Amino acid sequence: MSPRRFKSQGEGLLVTLTAPEVDLLRSIPDELRPVLGAGRDPDDPVRERLFPRAYLDPTEDLAEQEWQDLVHPELIRERLAALERLVATLDRATERKGRFEVEIDADEAQAWLGALNDARLALGTRLGVTEDLDATAVDADHPDAAAFAVYGWLTWVQGDLVETLLG
Amino acid sequence: MSRPRLATAPVEVEPVETVGEPEQEEAVDTDRPWLVIVWNDPVNLMSYVVFVLQKLFGYSRKKATRLMLQVHHEGKAVVSDGTREKAEADVARLHAHGLWATMEHPS
Repeated sequence: MSPRRFKSQGEGLLVTLTAPEVDLLRSIPDELRPVLGAGRDPDDPVRERLFPRAYLDPTEDLAEQEWQDLVHPELIRERLAALERLVATLDRATERKGRFEVEIDADEAQAWLGALNDARLALGTRLGVTEDLDATAVDADHPDAAAFAVYGWLTWVQGDLVETLLG
Repeated sequence: MSRPRLATAPVEVEPVETVGEPEQEEAVDTDRPWLVIVWNDPVNLMSYVVFVLQKLFGYSRKKATRLMLQVHHEGKAVVSDGTREKAEADVARLHAHGLWATMEHPS
């Protein structure tokens, strides 16, 4: 049985991962940066999911535009910063008995949580996941089987992290 | 929201509050608050939504859980209200955390 991935330790957490898990987490920024970058397609459904409208009322289009101009640059900066922190913490991980361990502080844990959630939102949107999805039950022959497996794993890890943070 | 990962029920006791029902009878139009709404989505974990509502609004576990369940079962819930500026700020923070939130002014 594998050890718990996240363990409360003082104000922070001790994270324990396998090598493939570390590699998978390292790939998150590469998946997300294109959606966050300057050349992004505003009609990309992932983009729309990460940056939805604030106002549904079309008569508030002007307010919506002003709000987006004000808020979106900051939201993009925050998301990119979270990805940087995720990678920086993974760089600190040390190998012990075939597993990678790293201590992360409370702010870094928030960055992990944000990066994991953004990754799931992006992947979930691309895969068109529904509430009833059981990612573990996707047929191995499905063309997106690998992506569903990643989504399922991210869901599991994020759930672990939230439960640990909720205490 | 996907698979339930509900935290254990809290032991604290808090007064019963109504959610998302502005006092429309007495309030004049200009005083009517903007409502910040969180919508159901298939990706965000139930436990994560509770975590975010507690973090952003300082709600108790019980209140955050009740709002999350309302989102889950009814498709949406009013999670905060206030001036247009406050609602815009709340929506921005909810979006920063990946929740699908909008704001509206009830007529």
